[in-house]
Amino acid sequence: MVEERIMNSRSAPAVPPTMHAAVYPTKRPQEISVQGFRISTQKLPILKADPIEEMTRKLGIAPPEMIFGDNYVMIEHEKSGWGINFNSFDALDRVDKTGQSMLQVAYSKEWQKSREKTHEGIKEVVKPFDWSYSTDYMGTLSPKAPPFEETSDPIPIELLTRPDPILFFDEVVLYEDELADNGIAMLSCKIRVMPERLLLLTRFFMRLDNVLIRLRDTRVYVDFATREVIREYQSKECEYEKVRQTLANTRGDVPALMRDANRLSEILPLVEKRSERVVLDG
Amino acid sequence: MPGLPTSIDLDECIERLYRKELLAEPVIEAVCAKTKELLMKESNVVHIMAPVTVVGDIHGQFFDLLEIFRIGGFCPDTNYLFLGDYVDRGLFSVETISLLVCLKLRYPHRVHLIRGNHESRGVTQSYGFYTECARKYGNANVWHYFTDMFDYLTLSVVINDEIFCVHGGLSPSIHSLDQIKIIDRFREIPHEGPMADLVWSDPDPERDEFSLSPRGAGYTFGAQVVRKFLEVNKMSHILRAHQLCNEGYQILFDDRLSTVWSAPNYCYRCGNLASVLEVSDNMERFFNIFDAAPENDIHRSEQQAQQNRDSQPVIDYFL
Repeated sequence: MVEERIMNSRSAPAVPPTMHAAVYPTKRPQEISVQGFRISTQKLPILKADPIEEMTRKLGIAPPEMIFGDNYVMIEHEKSGWGINFNSFDALDRVDKTGQSMLQVAYSKEWQKSREKTHEGIKEVVKPFDWSYSTDYMGTLSPKAPPFEETSDPIPIELLTRPDPILFFDEVVLYEDELADNGIAMLSCKIRVMPERLLLLTRFFMRLDNVLIRLRDTRVYVDFATREVIREYQSKECEYEKVRQTLANTRGDVPALMRDANRLSEILPLVEKRSERVVLDG
Repeated sequence: MPGLPTSIDLDECIERLYRKELLAEPVIEAVCAKTKELLMKESNVVHIMAPVTVVGDIHGQFFDLLEIFRIGGFCPDTNYLFLGDYVDRGLFSVETISLLVCLKLRYPHRVHLIRGNHESRGVTQSYGFYTECARKYGNANVWHYFTDMFDYLTLSVVINDEIFCVHGGLSPSIHSLDQIKIIDRFREIPHEGPMADLVWSDPDPERDEFSLSPRGAGYTFGAQVVRKFLEVNKMSHILRAHQLCNEGYQILFDDRLSTVWSAPNYCYRCGNLASVLEVSDNMERFFNIFDAAPENDIHRSEQQAQQNRDSQPVIDYFL
């Protein structure tokens, strides 16, 4: 950090500040291999200005405020060439860039009305896009991955509720935006690896205050012995006020519950569900 | 102007706060009441002289505020201008705003506080300050004292008639400083109008003029807007906060505007650097960059509990 502190020609302060090791949650890639499957994750700080500029150019939209562009979660099966990874660029590339599904903040109408008189000249919305960063991202498959087939087989919950030892666990945030203090949008991945199977959950959670709550979950289940992979996508959403009323009838702390994606997942109505599977060559 | 109750010794309050001890509820009440009286007399555009060290968003990251004093000098040896967003998100909003308010009262001409969009009743109810006050004091009284005081914070500062300082940015309703001076600012931050724009708007380096935000409320301002505002008001630079920058600062529009961000490792998970901007006697600008204070580590588990994620995530049998 020394060189950054003294970046201008000006001399360093008379009493030099103490130097500290970085305390932020930075980590090199972490990995584990189980029965021919390699699982790895990486967590680094948010992107710097130059990479953000490059990402903006490639995506065609402004990335979220907190963009963890170097983070990823990856599962690979060497023998069959199958692999899936979750990263922020590919997730953001699936955000609507046309503005067709664009939401508006709760006080937008009031705002538009009051401003019209004075600044009618300013009509332009700069490159409209879905600024809630809603994505239906289900992961990026490796080029050699054999295709998934639709299935009605569910992920075997009973095998995942057993208290098998967890060999590897990580939680990786891919991006987050505070929607200019109108709520939150976040995409994050959790993965846990047990001796015989793994479960990955990538969750997009969006709460636009007084407007909408949206949850989009992608689960990837892998059975190591049978090499069966099941991927399941679920989309849930509900108007903010309906959710608030439902929660008001319970005894809980409503503002806290409105921030709890797990609790909300139980009460939000299902909009869409898809399941697919593939059995990899041994 | 009546003084503080004789039982309240500001220097002692400041000492306690440097040790991160909370002040008693009646002390906060008296300090906020006194600060209101002081702020009420400030214009919406406060003129100050360099040298001064300018601080961006802090968001309750109290240890990082102490780090700023260690790096930039303590009050009153160094003059400070804070650009707002003292509360919400971090773990120690109460300690942060208590200390800043006591310093303002003790050294009114050496410490200046601008209002940020988080110095508002509405926003603090959603983003942590309200909950923190209720948890640390057992009731919401302290939150009321602070948020009532927020209504009196000034909206902008001008350094040596040259640098215009504001939390967010420019407004299509404002061409000259005189138009800021006539805003009735003693109120909750409204959703619309020039007062909202000053604390909310963002620069857009790709544009020339004002544009509407895709969110359906608020503006972004471009290069020509900045150029014209500076020209009309005979100034050379705009200094603002409000937006996270990984490097701790960002300079735009051919060095006509800079963003200063002072919350390192924002929300205890972004891993970003922070900076303060030191403006010298002869108006040279120097970004003094710093990393998160080591004391943050002591509160790792609390941060995790609040943020619910970290580099060592809580292992759970999620489904």
